Amino acid sequence: MAILTIQKATPREEEDVEMVYSDADSDAEEQMVMSDDENEDMDDNAQAANVAAGLVTPGKLITEDPIWMRGHGTYSVGNKTFSSTAGVVTKTNKLLSVVPLRGRYQPQIGDHVVGRIVDVGVKRWRVDIGAKQLAVLQLGSVNLPGGILRRKQESDELQMRGFLKEGDLINTEVQSLYQDGSAALHTRSLRYGKLRNGVLITVPSALIVRAKSHVHQLPGGVDTVVGVNGWIWLCMAWANSHLTRENTTSITRLEEEASLTETYSDKNEDIPRSVRENIARYANCFKALAANEVGITEDRVIAAYEASLVYPSAGDLIDKEAKEIIAAKAIAA
Amino acid sequence: MFVWELSDTSANCDSFWIRRGRLGSDTGTLDQTHRALLPSYSSPLTQSRHEIYSPEGLRTDGRRWNEIRNFDCKINTHPTSADGSSYVEWGHTKVVCTVDGPREPDNRQNTTDRAVISVNVNVASFSTETRIKRQRNDKRLAEMNILIRQLLEEAVLTKLNPRTQIAVNITVIAQDGGLLPACINAACLAMIDAGVPLTDYVSACSSGVYSNNALIDLNTLEEQDVPFLTIGVIGKSDKISMLTLETQLPMASLEPVLATSLSGAHAIQDIMDAAVRKHGKHRLERK
Repeated sequence: MAILTIQKATPREEEDVEMVYSDADSDAEEQMVMSDDENEDMDDNAQAANVAAGLVTPGKLITEDPIWMRGHGTYSVGNKTFSSTAGVVTKTNKLLSVVPLRGRYQPQIGDHVVGRIVDVGVKRWRVDIGAKQLAVLQLGSVNLPGGILRRKQESDELQMRGFLKEGDLINTEVQSLYQDGSAALHTRSLRYGKLRNGVLITVPSALIVRAKSHVHQLPGGVDTVVGVNGWIWLCMAWANSHLTRENTTSITRLEEEASLTETYSDKNEDIPRSVRENIARYANCFKALAANEVGITEDRVIAAYEASLVYPSAGDLIDKEAKEIIAAKAIAA
Repeated sequence: MFVWELSDTSANCDSFWIRRGRLGSDTGTLDQTHRALLPSYSSPLTQSRHEIYSPEGLRTDGRRWNEIRNFDCKINTHPTSADGSSYVEWGHTKVVCTVDGPREPDNRQNTTDRAVISVNVNVASFSTETRIKRQRNDKRLAEMNILIRQLLEEAVLTKLNPRTQIAVNITVIAQDGGLLPACINAACLAMIDAGVPLTDYVSACSSGVYSNNALIDLNTLEEQDVPFLTIGVIGKSDKISMLTLETQLPMASLEPVLATSLSGAHAIQDIMDAAVRKHGKHRLERK
């Protein structure tokens, strides 16, 4: 029980000052030049100590120094900068921002993501990538059967649902961002396209550690696409699928492109029981890592898989203790 | 346990002394106040079954006028099923809140340059002592939805997420007074967990008045007998962003009641902040 006093609260002097909440982009012009010496001086004063404290919660005063630019997760009243989310204060040169502990995926150009088609529109698909808004995949940014650089015709527009329909999962990349932060995607590479022969797992996007490549060949005949948005695709190794076998025999590029008809196929191939079991095991390994909030990297996934082999069945991994043991082994790796 | 010093309790003290005089008790020793907690104790002056505020200054559940019930909150209780989630247990009132969003709005027609917040309070039929029959459109619930939505709209930096929707779902598991403030506090925590940008913590607290005594954070028994109001504040300011009053309240007691609820709401922000920090620390250690 709490015992309270009746006393006047100290109001923040915000009533007359217009509140400014800023995106990182909008403040880019306010850049200030400052020498390193000054920078060190500032580290000594109280505000800088506050910055170093790290974890902040909404409404917490970060600094009163107007020298800082305000980035994401902050807002300012007059010269004071406050936090607007619960997260960690990060400084990039003169830019102060708060990286939230949790939150939806924020698309960035070049991110390799996994998405699900939710809507077939005029000349475009709308794709759920777990972001704040649906992403857009233009008809012009996919590879169509019969050549990469083929002009899109009306007939293509009419059979859009034949290529990708609602519910299909795709492997794609963020091509550009719109003004409101939503993403435009493209699949203009043979690496991207429709996904099949596998299973989807979603984890918080904050757990995905960005890497050079997000496609991994894992032991046990399983391949994975770890989307930066936290959507993870686990499937039978491409090397084993007849599609790739065909591709390796194809000599000319044209032949390779002709096989694109196959890339829009909906039919799963025959997946051996052992591979299915391995996929299930990996799925539970990812879930174990996510449940314990362990960042996901290729090494950790493999370590988790190896640690999980002591359990005879993949189903044993849903046990809470098993998850913790696996996560602990993965961190140690 | 949070303990503040008493500063301005004159109004309450006066009436306290008058009542004590009538009762004819001599000293307010510790023994005597403790006797009030015994179930067999009943004052000769009270006619009603429950004594809202005993001469010793104790309420039905043994609290003093300025004591809030045990406020226990957790954040990120449903990590896989929602963007943000929280659980608030305030005395015997228990509330679960999940926040979905910011996400693509359900209907794209009424999208605006800011995030649209929608609130849905769902009261479980087993949440009260006697089972409640499901009513279709409950006006009180609809009003609660609006109040919570308007308060959140004031605190959330909705302009940062244009053309999105933030859905707040609140499920009441048990109710024992202070339902609206509990829902608001839970919604604030779930919003923070979802990473929605807020200007500051949002909190709410109720308080009532019983023969010139302001009583903070009423339980169901007190809510039935005592005129009370609920306020919502953003941050530790004394700017009241939400106020609801469903009964008649003497004009003279408005100020003390407002002051008590305000300090209660501020105290709750500290408890919520501690919970958020505890969770944040836990997460950062795992990174």
